[in-house]
Amino acid sequence: MDKTTVRMQQIALQTLANGEVDVILGWKKGDEWYDSYPVVINDINETAELIWDAFCVNNLSKYLITELKKNLRIGVFLKGCDSLAFNQLVIDNRIDSERVVIFGLPCPGMIDPQKVKHAGLNKGLLKVERTGDKIVFITKEGVKEYIGRSFDYDKCLNCRCPNPVVSKYMLSDAVTRTDEEQYFPDVTEIEKMPLEARYDYWTKQFSKCIKCYACRNICPLCSCETCVFDNIAAGVSSKADADCEQQFFHIIRAYHVAGRCVDCGECSRVCPVGIPLEKLNRKIIKDINQLYGDYTADTDIAKSPPLGTYKVDDFDPFDGSKQGGKK
Amino acid sequence: MPRIGAFVCWCGTNIAGTVDIEQVVQAVSEMSGIVYVKDYQYMCSEVGQNLVKTAIKEWQLERVIIASCSPRMHENTFRKAAKAAGLNPYLVEVANIREHCSWVHKNKEEATKKAIALIRAAVAKASLNTELIAKEIDVENRALVIGGGIAGIQTALDIAEAGYQVDVIEKSPSIGGKMAQIDKTFPTLDCSACILTPKMVDVASHPNINLYTYSEIESVNGFVGNFEVTIKQKARSVNLEKCTGCGICTEKCPSRKSKSEFDEGLRTRGAIYTPFPQAVPNVPVIDREHCLKFNTGKCGICEKLCPAGAIEFGQEDVLVTKKYGAVVVATGFDIIDLDKFGEYQYQNHPDVLTSLEFERLTNAAGPTAGKFIRPSNNKRPEKVVFIQCVGSRDVSSRGKSYCSKICCMYTAKQAMLIKDKYPDIEVYVFYIDVRTPGKNFDEFQRRAVEEYGVNYIKGMVGKIFPAGDKLIVHGVDSFTGDTLKIEADMVVLAAAAQAKPDAEVLGRKLAISTDTNNFFTEAHPKLRPVETHSAGIYLAGACQGPKDIPETVAQAGAAAAKVIGLLSKRKLVSNPCVSVVNEDLCNGCLSCLKICPYDAIAAKELATNNHGITSKRIVAKVNEALCQGCGGCTVACRPGAIDLKGFTNKQITAEVDALCH
Ligand SMILES: Cc1cc2nc3c(=O)[nH]c(=O)nc-3n(C[C@H](O)[C@H](O)[C@H](O)COP(=O)(O)OP(=O)(O)OC[C@H]3O[C@@H](n4cnc5c(N)ncnc54)[C@H](O)[C@@H]3O)c2cc1C
Ligand code: SF4
Ligand code: SF4
Repeated sequence: MDKTTVRMQQIALQTLANGEVDVILGWKKGDEWYDSYPVVINDINETAELIWDAFCVNNLSKYLITELKKNLRIGVFLKGCDSLAFNQLVIDNRIDSERVVIFGLPCPGMIDPQKVKHAGLNKGLLKVERTGDKIVFITKEGVKEYIGRSFDYDKCLNCRCPNPVVSKYMLSDAVTRTDEEQYFPDVTEIEKMPLEARYDYWTKQFSKCIKCYACRNICPLCSCETCVFDNIAAGVSSKADADCEQQFFHIIRAYHVAGRCVDCGECSRVCPVGIPLEKLNRKIIKDINQLYGDYTADTDIAKSPPLGTYKVDDFDPFDGSKQGGKK
Repeated sequence: MPRIGAFVCWCGTNIAGTVDIEQVVQAVSEMSGIVYVKDYQYMCSEVGQNLVKTAIKEWQLERVIIASCSPRMHENTFRKAAKAAGLNPYLVEVANIREHCSWVHKNKEEATKKAIALIRAAVAKASLNTELIAKEIDVENRALVIGGGIAGIQTALDIAEAGYQVDVIEKSPSIGGKMAQIDKTFPTLDCSACILTPKMVDVASHPNINLYTYSEIESVNGFVGNFEVTIKQKARSVNLEKCTGCGICTEKCPSRKSKSEFDEGLRTRGAIYTPFPQAVPNVPVIDREHCLKFNTGKCGICEKLCPAGAIEFGQEDVLVTKKYGAVVVATGFDIIDLDKFGEYQYQNHPDVLTSLEFERLTNAAGPTAGKFIRPSNNKRPEKVVFIQCVGSRDVSSRGKSYCSKICCMYTAKQAMLIKDKYPDIEVYVFYIDVRTPGKNFDEFQRRAVEEYGVNYIKGMVGKIFPAGDKLIVHGVDSFTGDTLKIEADMVVLAAAAQAKPDAEVLGRKLAISTDTNNFFTEAHPKLRPVETHSAGIYLAGACQGPKDIPETVAQAGAAAAKVIGLLSKRKLVSNPCVSVVNEDLCNGCLSCLKICPYDAIAAKELATNNHGITSKRIVAKVNEALCQGCGGCTVACRPGAIDLKGFTNKQITAEVDALCH
C-alpha cells in the first residue's frame, strides 16, 4: 500500500481512538479507478478504508462548515490548495480553527481522468498509482509506467502551492517543484486580445452556462449561509435563460471571490460545459498583485486582504491629478 | 403603489431653458403611481414650497418627487416642507434635473428625454422608500485646528474667545507660519512681526487654547460632533515645562552645519535650535539628524549647560488621542522648487533669490540684520530685477496653471521697500500682467511706479547669464518688442505658490478632497467657501488656494464662526439613513467591519439552533450612532445581508431598472 495512505489510516485511527477528534474528513475509493470520494467517518473500523491517491482532488475544507455546526472536533486531510482555502475560511469566520486538526498532504498533482481517456489508457484500467512524477497504470493485461506530468490537471500544472501552508501533522515530505513557474500566461493571452474580441470571447463562454451552479457549489469560498443567487428577495437572480443573466451570475461570482480566490481551479474542473472560469479569477489576482503589491490569498492569515482594507497610500486610479484627462 | 406627487422646477431658465417642462409634466403624469404633477418657476421659494405642502394635504400624497437642482442644494428644504405638511421627510425624493441634466446638455430634445428618465428613476426609488426617524447625537464641544500659521492662529483665537476649548497642532517647532518670515506686509507696509507676534502670544496664553507644536495628525476617526484624532507629538528632546528659553544651548551647540528653515537657508543654525527669537513656544528642539550626541554618542554640551535641566535625549514620540466636535484645516502653502527653472540660474548663483529668501534678507531680524547686501560679496546691489510669475500661469508641466495671486502685490512691496531705503538702487520688474484687485491694492502698486520709480516691464525673461560679478538678464519688452539686457546685481524670483506636499495624504486621513492642484476643496465655491464636503471639517487660509493675509484672516474668522455654530449645539440630529444587518443572511465574514471608515460595525455572537444542536456564530452589528450612511459595507457584503436604509439595494436597482427602461 502507498506509504502516505498507511500513514493516513494510522493517524486517523490514532486521533479518533485517543479522542483528539470526533470525526475524520477524508476520501474513500469508489468502484472506478478515478473515483476517490469525500467521506465523514467516526468509526475507527472505517479508518482502514481511507485512501490517498492521485484522484483525491476534492477539497475537504468546505465540508468543515457544516460539520463544525454539530459542535464536533474534526480531523481533516488537506492538500496545498485545500489549506489555502482553509485559511480563507478562517479569515471569513466561517470555521473555528480551534476545533480542527489538520493532516497535511504535500501533493505532487492530481490526475485528470479525461487526459487518461484521451491517451486511450482507460481500457481495462484497474488502478493508477503515483509516486512523485512516476505514474503506474495497472490494467488487466499488465503494467505501464510513465514519468512526467502529462496527465496532471491543467490547474495542477500551474500549481503555486503543492505543500499545505498549515497543518498539525504532515503526512509526507514536502514536494519540491523546480520548473519555471508561468503563473499568468492564460491571462496575458486574453489581455492581448482587442477589446471586441475579448468581449466576444467571454460572451461566447458565458452563453454556454446552464446555471447548474456547480462552480459555486464546489468553490470553497462560496460559503455564504444563503447565497444571493438563492435569495429570491435579493432580486439578483432570475431563472431567465438570457445571456445577460449568465453574465451577471459569473461576473458577480468573480467579484464575490475577488481577493479571496485561492486559485484552486475547482470551478473550471467541475464546469460541465467547460467555461474557463479560472481565467477570470486569475485576471483579478493578477490585477490585485499589480496594484497592491504581491498578495497571494491566504498563505498567511495575518496579512490583511488588499480589497478589504484601506491604506492611505493605496493606488487610486480615480485620482484625476495622476492620470486620465487631457494632457 | 403609494400615491405619488411630482413637482417639476424650472429654476428660472436654468432648467426650463434646456428642458421642455410641458413635455416632462405630460410624461410624468402618465407614470404609474403619480396622482399629481405641478411645475413652477422656483420650487424652493416660499410659494413653491407652499405648493408642495398644500398638495401633500389635498391629494393625500404618500411620496413626493422634487425634480429640481442637486439634493446637495435643496433636499433639506423640501424634507422640511414635507415634514411641515405631516409627511415623513424621508419619503421625499429629489430627481436632479439641473446639475445632472440641464446644465450639462445643450440639446433640448435629449435633455428633456433625460429629465424624464431621471424622474422615472426617482419615482421607482420613492415607491420603495420607507418612513425613517432621525435620532440625536452628542457634540464634543472642543475644536481642533491643524496648522499654526496666521489662519490657524486667528481661527483658534476666535473660537477660544467664544468660550470653547481649542487645540492647535503645528508641524514645525513654532507657530507663526509664513507670516512670521515676512518683513513688511502689503498693502499697509506695517511690520509683519509687530502684528503677528502679539497674536502668537495670545494663543500661547489663552486659557482655552492648547498648543501641540512639533506635532502631526496620525489618524482621524469619527464624524461631525465626535471626531477622534490621534496626534503624534514628535520627540522634541527638550522638556517644554522645564525650559526657560534662555538660549544658552542654541548658542553653544557645536554642530552648526544645518541650514535654518526659517531663514530659508540663508543662515545656519545649531542642531539644537529655536526657529526664531519670537518663537512660540520659546523652547528649542533637537534636530536629531544633525545632533552629535545622537550620531556619535559624544557631546551632550547642551545637557551640561542647561541651567533648568530641560534636555531629555531619551524622549520618544508620543501619541495622544482626543475627541473633537469640529476640525479646521489651516495647513497653508509653500512656494515651488525652482530646480526646473535652470534659465534663471537660481541653483547656481547666490544672488538669484526666491521672494521668500528676499523677505528674510531685508528683515531686520534676518541673517544680515536687515542690511541689504548681495549674498555673494556682502556688497549693496545697484540694480535689482524682479521676475514675476515664475511657475505661475504656466501650463507646462514644470509650472502651475493658476495665478498665485499674491506675487504681484508682494513684488510691488519688495520693490518699494528697496526704493524707500535706497533710492539710488535701480529696480526693474518683469511681469505678464499686474493683477491687483483688492482694497487699496491698485493704489499700492501704482505708488511703486509713480512715487518710487520702479521700472515695470511687461515681458518675459528668457535667460540669465552670470558674467563676472553681474547677472545679465535677457528679456523682452513686449510693448516695444525690444530685447533688453539688464546688468543686474540681484534677481528676485516670485516663485509660484503651491499646495503643501502632504495635503493629499492629510486629506485622505480627514476624508476631505483636494483639487487638481492639491489645494483642499471647499464644499461650494460661492455659498460654502469654508466648509468641506465632510460635515464638521472646515478650511481656513492658503491651504484652500493662494491667499494674502487679509483674505486668510477673513476666512479664518468665517471658519471659526462655523465651528462656534456647530459647538454651540448640544445635540445634532443624526442621519437615519444608516445600515442594518439581516442576521439570518449574515455570514459573519466581517468584510463590512474592515471596510467601514467610521468603525461603526462590531461583531456579535449569536446562538443558533441547528436540528437541535445549538452552536454559536458571528454576525455583524451596526452602531447606529456611528454609522454615517456611506454605504461602503453594503457593497462589501456578498450575501447582501447588510443594507442601507433609504438607499437599499432594491431601491438602487429599481432606479437603475427604471433608467434602463
Ligand atoms: C514672499 C511672500 C511674501 C508675502 N507677503 C505678504 C504680504 O506682504 N501681505 C500679505 O497679506 N500676504 C503676504 N504673503 C502671503 C502670506 O504669506 C499668506 O497669506 C499667509 O501666510 C497664509 O497663512 P496660512 O496660515 O494660511 O498659511 P501658512 O503661513 O503657510 O501657515 C501654515 C502653518 O501650518 C503648518 N502646517 C502645515 N502642514 C501641517 C500639518 N500637516 N500639520 C500641522 N501643521 C501644518 C505650517 O508649518 C505653518 O506653520 C506673502 C507670501 C510670500 C510667499
Ligand atoms: S459583510 Fe455581510 S456577511 Fe459579512 S459580516 Fe458584514 S453583514 Fe455579515
Ligand atoms: S454605511 Fe456601512 S460602512 Fe458606511 S458608515 Fe455605515 S456601517 Fe460603516
